[in-house]
Amino acid sequence: MTRYVMVADLRRCVGCQTCTAACKEANGTPPGVQWRRVLDLEAGEYPDVSRVFVPTGCQHCDEPPCMEVCPTTATGKRDDGIVTIDYDLCIGCAYCIMACPYEARYKVDERRFAFGAAPTPAERARTAQPIVDVVTKCTFCVDRIDAGLAKGLVPGKDPEATPVCVQSCISGAMRFGDIDDPQSGVSQLLAENRWFRMHESEGTGPGFYYLWDKEAPL
Amino acid sequence: MSGATTTASETRQVPTYCYNCVAGPDLLKVSVHDGVATHVVPDHGATDVHPAHGRPCVKAYGLVQKTYNPHRVLTPMKRTNPRKGRDEDPGFVPISWDEALDIVCAKLVDIRARGLLDEEGLPRVAATFGHGGTPAHYMGTLPAFLSAWGPIDYSFGSGQGVKCVHSEHLYGEFWHRAFTVCADTVATRYIVSFGSNVEVTGGVCAVRRHADARLRGIKRVQIEPHLSPTAACSAEWVPIKPKTDAAFMLAMVHVLLHEAQRERLDLPFLRDRTASPYLVGPGGWYLRDPACGKPLLWDERTAAAVPFDTPGTVPALEGRYTLAEAVTHGPDGEKTHHNRVEGQPAFGEMVDAMRSYTPEWAAAICDVPAATIRRVTLGYLDNACVGETTVVNGKTLPLRPVAVTLGKTVNNGWGAFECVWARTVLATLVGALEVPGGTLGTTVRLNKPHENRLLSVKPGDDGFLATRFNPTDREHWARRPTGRNAHKTLIPIVGNSPWSQALGPTHLAWMFLREAPPDWPKPTHPEIWFAFRTNPSISFWESAQLTATMATMPFVVCFAYTMDETNHMADVLLPDATDLESTQLTRVGGTKFVEQHWHHQGVALRQPAVAPQGEARDFTWISAELARRCGLIEPYTAAINRGAGFSALKGEGADGATWDFSLRPDQVHDVDTVWDAVCKASTAELTGGRDVKDLAWFKEHGWFVVPFERADWYLTPTMQAKGLRYELPYQERLLRTGIELGRRLHEEGIHWWDTQLTEYQAIPQWHDVPAHWDRAVEATGGKVADYPFWAITTKSMPYTTGNNVGIPLMNEVSGNLRGHGAVTMNAGTAARLGIQPGDWVEVRSTSGATVGRAAPIQGCRPDTIVIPGQYAHWKTPVARELQFPSLNAIAPLRAVSLALTDATGSGADVVRVQVRKVDPPAPVPHAAATAVAQGATA
Repeated sequence: MTRYVMVADLRRCVGCQTCTAACKEANGTPPGVQWRRVLDLEAGEYPDVSRVFVPTGCQHCDEPPCMEVCPTTATGKRDDGIVTIDYDLCIGCAYCIMACPYEARYKVDERRFAFGAAPTPAERARTAQPIVDVVTKCTFCVDRIDAGLAKGLVPGKDPEATPVCVQSCISGAMRFGDIDDPQSGVSQLLAENRWFRMHESEGTGPGFYYLWDKEAPL
Repeated sequence: MSGATTTASETRQVPTYCYNCVAGPDLLKVSVHDGVATHVVPDHGATDVHPAHGRPCVKAYGLVQKTYNPHRVLTPMKRTNPRKGRDEDPGFVPISWDEALDIVCAKLVDIRARGLLDEEGLPRVAATFGHGGTPAHYMGTLPAFLSAWGPIDYSFGSGQGVKCVHSEHLYGEFWHRAFTVCADTVATRYIVSFGSNVEVTGGVCAVRRHADARLRGIKRVQIEPHLSPTAACSAEWVPIKPKTDAAFMLAMVHVLLHEAQRERLDLPFLRDRTASPYLVGPGGWYLRDPACGKPLLWDERTAAAVPFDTPGTVPALEGRYTLAEAVTHGPDGEKTHHNRVEGQPAFGEMVDAMRSYTPEWAAAICDVPAATIRRVTLGYLDNACVGETTVVNGKTLPLRPVAVTLGKTVNNGWGAFECVWARTVLATLVGALEVPGGTLGTTVRLNKPHENRLLSVKPGDDGFLATRFNPTDREHWARRPTGRNAHKTLIPIVGNSPWSQALGPTHLAWMFLREAPPDWPKPTHPEIWFAFRTNPSISFWESAQLTATMATMPFVVCFAYTMDETNHMADVLLPDATDLESTQLTRVGGTKFVEQHWHHQGVALRQPAVAPQGEARDFTWISAELARRCGLIEPYTAAINRGAGFSALKGEGADGATWDFSLRPDQVHDVDTVWDAVCKASTAELTGGRDVKDLAWFKEHGWFVVPFERADWYLTPTMQAKGLRYELPYQERLLRTGIELGRRLHEEGIHWWDTQLTEYQAIPQWHDVPAHWDRAVEATGGKVADYPFWAITTKSMPYTTGNNVGIPLMNEVSGNLRGHGAVTMNAGTAARLGIQPGDWVEVRSTSGATVGRAAPIQGCRPDTIVIPGQYAHWKTPVARELQFPSLNAIAPLRAVSLALTDATGSGADVVRVQVRKVDPPAPVPHAAATAVAQGATA
């Protein structure tokens, strides 16, 4: 079997938002929509304070709450673990946005562009993508994965077949791969390091692991 | 043309570089679909050569928006309203390139006819470029035009000297060819960082290396008033009171000298590689051999004083010794002969001077427990591995995996001299200066060659590095300034290299233009002022006043990206083809600021990923036009041939191979012809003529590198090979220079630099650094008690330079970072003042006020306010709608700024303030792009 997961090493992450920006640019998401973003969290009381940066986005859960509430079956889940949205089926009811405990889903109801009402040439080049009145989220760059697999590339190892956020991460915090393959990079990282998953108690079974050597920040 | 063939629908990945901030240059590719740039991607092909695996930072991902910004100025423009001022509409109208260049060059030609210097001896032409020299990597062959022109005044800065690591620049390069300093992160184990925000501004290479180091177990102690992202990624955060870092570091020196066992220090390094054994006598001068004039040391083996370079000595580091005779070299050539004179080694002088600087003493000043200061210092010593070695490129070198790094506001302004001295001395005490794992310099800018600092090491006097100060003797001192910031007159250590003037006290040029000190002539205005990639109206202090001063410039030519607060005062706007639209080659790799130590060195091409928007033109074309119209084509082309800004076009390899790609000096060469020659010459130089790559090759591959040995990251082996010592700890040269400078200034009746003269000490002594800012409050009519907070600034990675303020993507992603665009303050302080998160607050100094939303946090000292970035724009599109606060609006640029300037001409972003809740300001309406700015064709 194959189960793709994301691994974020919080010991490496510096909160720079490079992955946030790279994802937006590669996927052409509209203003305000951040399929990948990095949280900036503080804990403690002065002077005993800590601060940690937590990349987040769709966790591609084993038991996705979004799929459970979707009235049209627009949200689905592939055998390899990737949670998908069929935009042609989505009616934009936004139940999934409310159901998601990770605040990972977005819906915009009017076209807006970075500089205002008119698109730049780069934004105009993306008019084929339906981004209005339907819900969108991180796709684990499923198009890159499928195209890469078709060429015999390995997602998580070959840049062309790997999610953009992983490939852009300047600190090497973001990793991706098949957790069902014990030899994959992500499997080895999880075997060798302490990790946690976000909101584990919700029972969602997230496909997003955080390497961390302290108490889980959330 | 790229190497890819064109089809009906085509996607190319175009390699280029990003050098938008000093931490670069870094590599990337631009994805271009049917001639439209859609997004930026890493250059994965560079994974094995680029320390960050070919990945640029967040800023690079904004370059597509930057290219297609609808607010761009895309045609030349001229002013029609002769009145200049913030509230005056310039009345810009579009004109053709012909008309624009005719206007500019008519003035330039007229200047050449009358003489390049005015009646005061100052250049009639001035130029300002922004952020740390990075504009040079976007200005094509303009350096060749500037070289062909002649004297130009670069002293009107946009923050240079006060918003850079200025004292580190000057003292670092003086002591160890370290224009900037970093840890040897690949091997360091323990870093004491005073505010150096490497996870934000260190660049991608630093971020990757520090992340790897964290997994390796590195420990970094981050000492700063607020909890930056670097502190977040450190083992410990120590909230120090602003501007007290020197006390902490002097206490660290005290601990190593007075509490640790002497044998734990690297005594051989101190004896052989520093001036520690040099005997100091009366007046604080070295005791010198009467015959040869060389400084003497006490040889324990023969119990005699001998010249420092006598072979086979065992130099004493401590003790008092009586010499039968010696000479001292005082100021102005005053030589004194002494009989039966006592002296002690410079090391002993330092031990004496540091005696009172205990951790308990420092604790009261820094508001940091003495136990913390002691623990951090002993951690440094425990990790120093004194005596251990490692093998690098087959060479056995010392391993000293400890470093002390400094950030801005620590290494600039008052207190910075003490800090950079203490930091460098701390390295010498354990032998960690310029060796594997230790404290390293990165590059040189006051010495040459810039691309390999080891080659800049030349023997000077007294066994030290040869360093050329601006003269302070009566005959050669620059009595009359040659530039409007008087760098040669006031700042001996800045020297007179091409970078020196722009490094000088650039705020003084702006201040003196408005109000000069007593007995100092107000400088004349330059007749033409060029500005590129710079916005001093925003990036310098007391923005409102500086803007008003700028309005008095008689003729201003701005290379314009969008309308902004500086080109609002322009007479002519010229739209240059920006990052993804133009051609230039730049050096990559080797070692350079900020933390770019590569295992390779080479060159990278910036090429048009897309055609220039509107009428924007490549800077190389603009430069050639300026040269042609001014009758300077021959010297301009000769400057290109000589290598102005890059490799000389003619050269010879080590094994005798020669090449000559020189351009005919009497012709005007187009953009591609010029850069094709540069590509060939650069690759010939890198390979000794064996492998020459042309522009077409670079357009496909992007970069070319050859190996660069890691052993060449370290200066100490070169110092050792040349028998040289680091001019530390004792600063006899600075002591002498300061006395001479004082005499020269007093002979001219100038006493307003007297406080700065007190910084010229042989061993730094603590002085009440924070009190400078208290006195500034009083000098400007305020009471210190009314301004209880320390306002400082910081950065975020999306906004480490000003060129991003108009890019919406940067603002959007920065919204995830706490404090973005806000006034950050301690949550307890906010509660006490009745301020909730998101409330509008006014931060006021005696110079002005700025407003912003409050962001109360725990990770901030209760007495400190942090205002990130440099905003408060009133004209730059997108930025003006943000309504973010700015420290620059409230930091003074007036007479009191002189008192806040140190001996190197440096200041710091610190000001005493008061804070109160206010009503929200009216929102700024969204401005649609104007038809004119959209690039009506000429």
